[in-house]
Amino acid sequence: MTEIKIEMKNIGKVFETDDIETHALKDVNIVIRAGEYVSISGPSGCGKSTLLSLLGLLDESTSGSYVIEGKDVSHLSLDEAAGIRNEKIGFVFQSFNLIDELSVFDNVALPLQYKKEIPTDEFIKERVEACLKMVEMSHRAEHKPNQLSGGQQQRIAIARALVADPAILLVDEPTGNLDSQSGDTVMAVLAELNKKGTTICMVTHDARYADMAKIQLKLLDGQIVKEERLKVAV
Amino acid sequence: MSKFVRQHKQAWASLKKKPGFILTVLMTMGITLGALLCAVTLNYLLLVEPLPYPEQDRLFVAEHKLIGPEKETKAVAYTYPGLVHLYKSKQAFEQAAMMIYGQDVIISHSNQPLVNTTYVTPEFHQIIASPMAVGRMFEASEAIDTNNPVTMLSYNTWQQEYNGSADILDEKINLSGISYRVIGVLSEDFIEPELNGIGQETQVWLPWDYNQTGEGGRESFGNISNSLKFVGQLNKGVSQSQAQQLLTPLVSDRWQEGVVEIDFFNGWSVSMIVRPVKDVILGDSESIAVMLLAGVVGLVLIACANISNLFMSRTAEKQRQMAIQAALGATKKHLFKTMFAETTILMFMSIILALVISKVGFYIMQQYLGAVLPRVSELSLNPITFGCAVLVAITFALFFAKLSTRMINYRALNTTLQSSGKGSGLQVSKKTRQVLIASQVALATVLVFANFSLLKDAVKTINAPIGFETENISTLILNFSSTNFPTREEGIPIMAEIMEKLEALPQVESISQSRSPLDGFGVRALTSVADNKNYTPYFNNVSHTYFDMIEQPLVQGDNFTLVDRKDGTDVMIVNQAFAKQLKADGDVIGMQISTGRPDPFKIIGIVRDIAIPGDAATDHNSEALGSGVPRAYVPNGLNNQSFMIKVKPGQLVSREQLGKLLGDVDSRYAVFSFDAASDILTQRLFAEITTAVTTAILASLVFLLAGIGLYGILSYGTQLRRFELGARMAIGATRKHLVSLIIGDNTKAILVGFIGSIALFALAYIGMSEYIQPLLTWQVIPMLLVTLVLIVLVTLFACYWPLRQYINKPAIFTLRGSD
Repeated sequence: MTEIKIEMKNIGKVFETDDIETHALKDVNIVIRAGEYVSISGPSGCGKSTLLSLLGLLDESTSGSYVIEGKDVSHLSLDEAAGIRNEKIGFVFQSFNLIDELSVFDNVALPLQYKKEIPTDEFIKERVEACLKMVEMSHRAEHKPNQLSGGQQQRIAIARALVADPAILLVDEPTGNLDSQSGDTVMAVLAELNKKGTTICMVTHDARYADMAKIQLKLLDGQIVKEERLKVAV
Repeated sequence: MSKFVRQHKQAWASLKKKPGFILTVLMTMGITLGALLCAVTLNYLLLVEPLPYPEQDRLFVAEHKLIGPEKETKAVAYTYPGLVHLYKSKQAFEQAAMMIYGQDVIISHSNQPLVNTTYVTPEFHQIIASPMAVGRMFEASEAIDTNNPVTMLSYNTWQQEYNGSADILDEKINLSGISYRVIGVLSEDFIEPELNGIGQETQVWLPWDYNQTGEGGRESFGNISNSLKFVGQLNKGVSQSQAQQLLTPLVSDRWQEGVVEIDFFNGWSVSMIVRPVKDVILGDSESIAVMLLAGVVGLVLIACANISNLFMSRTAEKQRQMAIQAALGATKKHLFKTMFAETTILMFMSIILALVISKVGFYIMQQYLGAVLPRVSELSLNPITFGCAVLVAITFALFFAKLSTRMINYRALNTTLQSSGKGSGLQVSKKTRQVLIASQVALATVLVFANFSLLKDAVKTINAPIGFETENISTLILNFSSTNFPTREEGIPIMAEIMEKLEALPQVESISQSRSPLDGFGVRALTSVADNKNYTPYFNNVSHTYFDMIEQPLVQGDNFTLVDRKDGTDVMIVNQAFAKQLKADGDVIGMQISTGRPDPFKIIGIVRDIAIPGDAATDHNSEALGSGVPRAYVPNGLNNQSFMIKVKPGQLVSREQLGKLLGDVDSRYAVFSFDAASDILTQRLFAEITTAVTTAILASLVFLLAGIGLYGILSYGTQLRRFELGARMAIGATRKHLVSLIIGDNTKAILVGFIGSIALFALAYIGMSEYIQPLLTWQVIPMLLVTLVLIVLVTLFACYWPLRQYINKPAIFTLRGSD
């Protein structure tokens, strides 16, 4: 049996304003095993981004339990959650969220600097170069993000997400800010990574890209209404 | 015109939606500009505005300088006959007057008030053209040697003591047993030249002939007094230096004749100093006023940096509105005009508040700084204040409008609309923000350090141990209301009876027939018999119970006894400082000290030094002693008319009670003054207390403004970096990482600010080295460190506080940018 990377049980999320309660997620159960490529899709407002936030420990669930690599992460302090994000989770955002003032190399190296024990300079260099090579961006290491195209920036973001060797890559609408050609390139990079064993969970509303995942979860009104496991991936 | 009105109406409508913004600008600029208007008006008054007297540039004070054998200045004070000689010579001055300042009790008044008196020759009021409310001023009938007992009252004395009586010219007032007929009351508008000290106002003016100098004093060239003054209008065409050259031989020759038989003055000489009346009145207050202005300008700059930040944030906030205006055809000039209309409204509102605050400031200065700064009674909202207010309002309105419109990238405004405000935000550049942080830190460091240094010195003086007790001790000084003074023998039993009755009062713990050390010492010329060396220590006649009552310990030898006082024994007690001045090892018991009389005094005891605020060394040799100034004490007579009264804790004795007690013993005696020693100490420390309060307020205000300013800038910078912070949180940055990041990023600006403050110190030093040089001791280093630590703490707080809203919530809130 392949190792379970992520397990969510009966996860619920309620947003409360002055007198209105909005149930963004209801009884969501997800299991993601090592090497799987999961896509989460659904119409606007169905709870995709909320689910990804909970998966990435960017937010706390209202109910249910959440385990990453056997560790219960349902109730962590802000700093504990930051530590888990640093060690176990790699994030790829729709808007890249690279830091303009830092070079590509420094952007990619950033998660390593937030580790409890900061690795040696040699290790950082080796690791960053390896990740840039994985996304075929080694030649842009000294550039600033604003000197790159959108597609290139997203590949740098993927390299940054991979640098700390996370348990899972969480990808939020990776092609949302890209033209179709750049989008295809980025998706090809993700597929290649998955092929090499990286576990990926991606949120997208683009059916074409959702279909590239082996496991496709359809979300509607905060609930998983369909789970498809495909035998063939791109 | 209608366009102008419409533009301002629109600007007001836009501003009204932001009451918090209006209030912040109004309060910050209103308060600081109010302080600026106060400081500018004060500086104009002291540095530029002529004195309110006719031909004031010809008004000079002639001073009598005594020079010791080593050519050192011993004193600047007249001898009585020397002054009269100068006055009668009529040299160099077209018109001149003599004056003596004093105090006396109006015994004919039911309250027997103690009043400030000035004995003058009639020329004084003629020279300064004193305006009269009622009656006339002194004239030839009150000239020297006419002995005409008349008086002029000040306007306040007329109002307060005589309720503004219309029949005041029918009144007679009695001082020291002489009845003076009131011939006039000075106008409310009369401004007295403060020649005898800042804030000292004469209440009763009397003819020169009635001054209280005794017969001996009128002839003696050995006694000097700094209450004697000479003021006049120089002859046309005679310069200050010519007057000095003309008067010096005249005065010197007469003085040398007068002291020819006094050995003490061998080798001494005198010269005349002629100084403009304005310089005498202002003293060193110009530097205080300039420093005050410099401090306030610093405050205004900090406030200006804060408000610049607010205006820039507001411009960023208004980008969509401006984009719509640009889309409709508004040019950059139109946008500037819109912004200028807003800044004009805000600055004129602020300046109105500033004028109100400056008016309040003038009142406060008149109430509390009248004894520290001269001419404050003349402070008022004048054309200079209004002119400065309008100029400042227009300048700041233009500055803020220009600053705001400089931020606008007119070409980028169109894209603002196309992208619904995302991405192409109009922002205050990082460089501008760093400059604002550095300038805030630099100004705040300079101002806080300067205020702390002054505060430290003031507090040190206030808290310095004085070396004697003042608790529950008051001094009663008697007034004798007759011209026939009792002889020593007649006075002794009267004083003994008064003492007995005072001791019998239930509130009284003990009595000493002396004045408190705070009531003042005289200065006496003394000669050491052994080596014939001359000294001028502070000198006091005290009773045998004096040292015990004030708890000033005797460190060597014996105290005076009642027998010493009865027999008038020639014994002396000196303090440690004088003992060391007399003999390096301080062992002076048995030493003989001459006062010029045939029998010298023998030193029988040494008391510990005391420190009376304001008492400086009386000659240059004493300064080297460091601890305390030289003092000498001799026993007073049993007919002494001053008493220290120590009351039991929580008990009080009233002036009225004492007046009745004295009247019961002898109706010729009344209360001259009855003052608590602690009150006199507070009065002597008034300048230090004022400095401490002012600098503490200024330092707090600087901290507050700098804190608000730094918070504003750093908060804005943090807000701009919100998504970056979110991204960092998403990839695992903890709160500690983010706090370190923000602090680290601002460290450079803070360091630049500190370096800037050193540059400002250097500039201040170059510009005002004479004032700053004496303050530069190693003791400023701890103060500088304290300042730096406080500024760093304020900055750290300003770094952390805006950040907490992002880092203390789950990362998603920061990433999404909403709650």
